[in-house]
Amino acid sequence: MRHSQRRRRRQRDQGTVELNLAAMLDMAFQLLTFFILTFRPAPIEGQLALNMPPPVPLTNVESDQKFGDGTGDVLAMETLHLHVVADTQGDVRELKVESNSVVDGRLDETNVHRLDRKLQSLFAVQQIPFDRIQIAVDGRLRYGELMKIIDVCHRQHLPDGTTMQKISFTEVEMGTASSPQ
Amino acid sequence: MSNHQIERAEPNLTPLLDMVFQLITFFMLVINFKGASLDLSLKLPVLGSARPLDKHGKLEPLLLNIDTGGQVNAYGQQVDVERYVSREARLLREQLRLSGTPVDKGELPVSVIIRADRAAPFHLVNHVLKVCQDQGYRQFALSAMSHEEKH
Repeated sequence: MRHSQRRRRRQRDQGTVELNLAAMLDMAFQLLTFFILTFRPAPIEGQLALNMPPPVPLTNVESDQKFGDGTGDVLAMETLHLHVVADTQGDVRELKVESNSVVDGRLDETNVHRLDRKLQSLFAVQQIPFDRIQIAVDGRLRYGELMKIIDVCHRQHLPDGTTMQKISFTEVEMGTASSPQ
Repeated sequence: MSNHQIERAEPNLTPLLDMVFQLITFFMLVINFKGASLDLSLKLPVLGSARPLDKHGKLEPLLLNIDTGGQVNAYGQQVDVERYVSREARLLREQLRLSGTPVDKGELPVSVIIRADRAAPFHLVNHVLKVCQDQGYRQFALSAMSHEEKH
């Protein structure tokens, strides 16, 4: 009698098994709360990838090699030098490409285009294959202004079709940047 | 009979649980653990040509945040840049040695991501660049916003 009652109870219990979802739901809500509170969308930012070797002395080593002689010899790659002078506010006051002044005043959109055109014209000359740019920068210059110049340099195309990635900097002491090293 | 039914009435929690799990899955997928390494108070320069860095499964880059005063911040902590970069370079060389990867001319095959405030003077940023170059880093990625953020 007792045995049959137990069997019946077991059968009834087995038939009505239900998962207690409340505990799982509690845990899920806790997880959800954690993710909502810690959610912070990543800022949309990009990078300019550069290969920055340590700067080299400005003095070019003269070689006997002549450009454009049609001999098929491998031409020596050259470094293009830029000189940036800043004012006390950290804005660009003057920008020279080699010894030629290209920008005189703040680096606004017009001056950025002027610099771009100048560099494009220099890089278009196949006889002088520049493979790196070295920028002598006034230490006071704001990083944001320098990045505009780097951006223009980075856009220039090398003879092999790739963009300029070898850019290095030398810091020029404040107030003495107008004279090349 | 009716009392018995009222006592046993339970809401069906399954759809609710389904929805909560879907939300959890969404947040797990979009969670950005690297956000902890970024100093979001910095105002980065704005350059239209800035593109996300393509790592191609390479080693994890070294990320340095530089504020207007030249203080370097890594993972929310202000660090001494010389000591920090030197330690990271030493650990990386050890890692490369153990994995049998040769270090060509002492140049480390890892990028340094520089996140510097646009108002920081160049000489402060240059100091950090020099420290990295002295330790053998040659590949740099200069961070910039692709467009001005609206607040």
